Amino acid sequence: MHDVVQIGPSSSQRRPLTGLAGRYVYCVADAGVQASLGNVGLEHSEVYTIPWQDICAVVHNCPPQPYLSGDRDAVQAWVMTHQRTVEAAWATWGTVLPLAFDTIIVAAAGGGADQQVADWLSREYGSLKARIQRVKGAAEYGVQVFWDTASAAREVTLSSLDAGKLRAQASSASPGMAYMYRLQLEHLLRNAMEAKGAELSRGLYDRIRAHAAEVRVEKAKQAEPGLRMVLSLSCLVHPDRYAQLGQELDKIGREQGLRVRFTGPWPPYSFVRDC
Amino acid sequence: MEAVPSCQATVVDLLDRVLDKGIVVHADLIISMGGIPLIGVNLRAALAGMETMLEYGMMRDWDQAVRIQESQRRSEAALADSLPAPEAVNI
Repeated sequence: MHDVVQIGPSSSQRRPLTGLAGRYVYCVADAGVQASLGNVGLEHSEVYTIPWQDICAVVHNCPPQPYLSGDRDAVQAWVMTHQRTVEAAWATWGTVLPLAFDTIIVAAAGGGADQQVADWLSREYGSLKARIQRVKGAAEYGVQVFWDTASAAREVTLSSLDAGKLRAQASSASPGMAYMYRLQLEHLLRNAMEAKGAELSRGLYDRIRAHAAEVRVEKAKQAEPGLRMVLSLSCLVHPDRYAQLGQELDKIGREQGLRVRFTGPWPPYSFVRDC
Repeated sequence: MEAVPSCQATVVDLLDRVLDKGIVVHADLIISMGGIPLIGVNLRAALAGMETMLEYGMMRDWDQAVRIQESQRRSEAALADSLPAPEAVNI
């Protein structure tokens, strides 16, 4: 039997827009409360909770259609508001399982939208509780490591005899042949850099992994010209390991040709998808 | 090193999380648009300032990938050019 604790405005005031058939879900919070966070949601909607036992969904009422717009400022504002609301729930209730932007639960044959939300919490209860345990007390941090391609190419070239051979051949051959040798040289360089990059990222992964409860490898994205992203990680980190992770990243950032981006704390978006 | 907090991170850092991650709710319960991930694409397109979704979806990533690849190729070529002639090697 779990206590339902009431904080914030009374329940009779909490849903002025009861005619709206959608429930925009921001996150699931580790608290069985019926409460309001105030008008902090998208389009200044009132954000409140729908509880089930000792957890709740953090929602606002909306029309049963997604938030879509061609106006980039409006879209950016919505996305940021989504994040800020998740963070407000995080600050209030300690552990949250975030949802992606624009998840709207609607009424169905089984019942109205509120009922659908409560039924969803009920059906997923075990899985949601397990995920809460997984992320409790921790925060997500993003770590990206970049490699300066100029210094990478220098390191690789100087140690490659084949490259030396090709260079010698290229400088003595006819213009057509020289061009061909040049292409081979660039191909060789690129392959060697790929291999060195993979080796480097494996080593970095191990060093970073040591300071996190969990690590998720993310797709390395395009970096600006002159830089290659060799590693992109989402890390689930407890407060007592944060300082050591920062120190390790400082060491990495001081190494030849490497640059580090470190962001967070984020609510644990990357660690709630399955359990 | 201190982490850059979410309010100072880039839009890309935020979008990577807020569009592609988080708890998944079964399609039966939520508003969908026939399974097409229009929402993510629309948002990225809107924030990138592109007019046409199709144009964005088909051309942008390809275009960017080609530009970056070409730029890297050119900087590798320039580097290859600038290397001093190696010493004689026994082949």
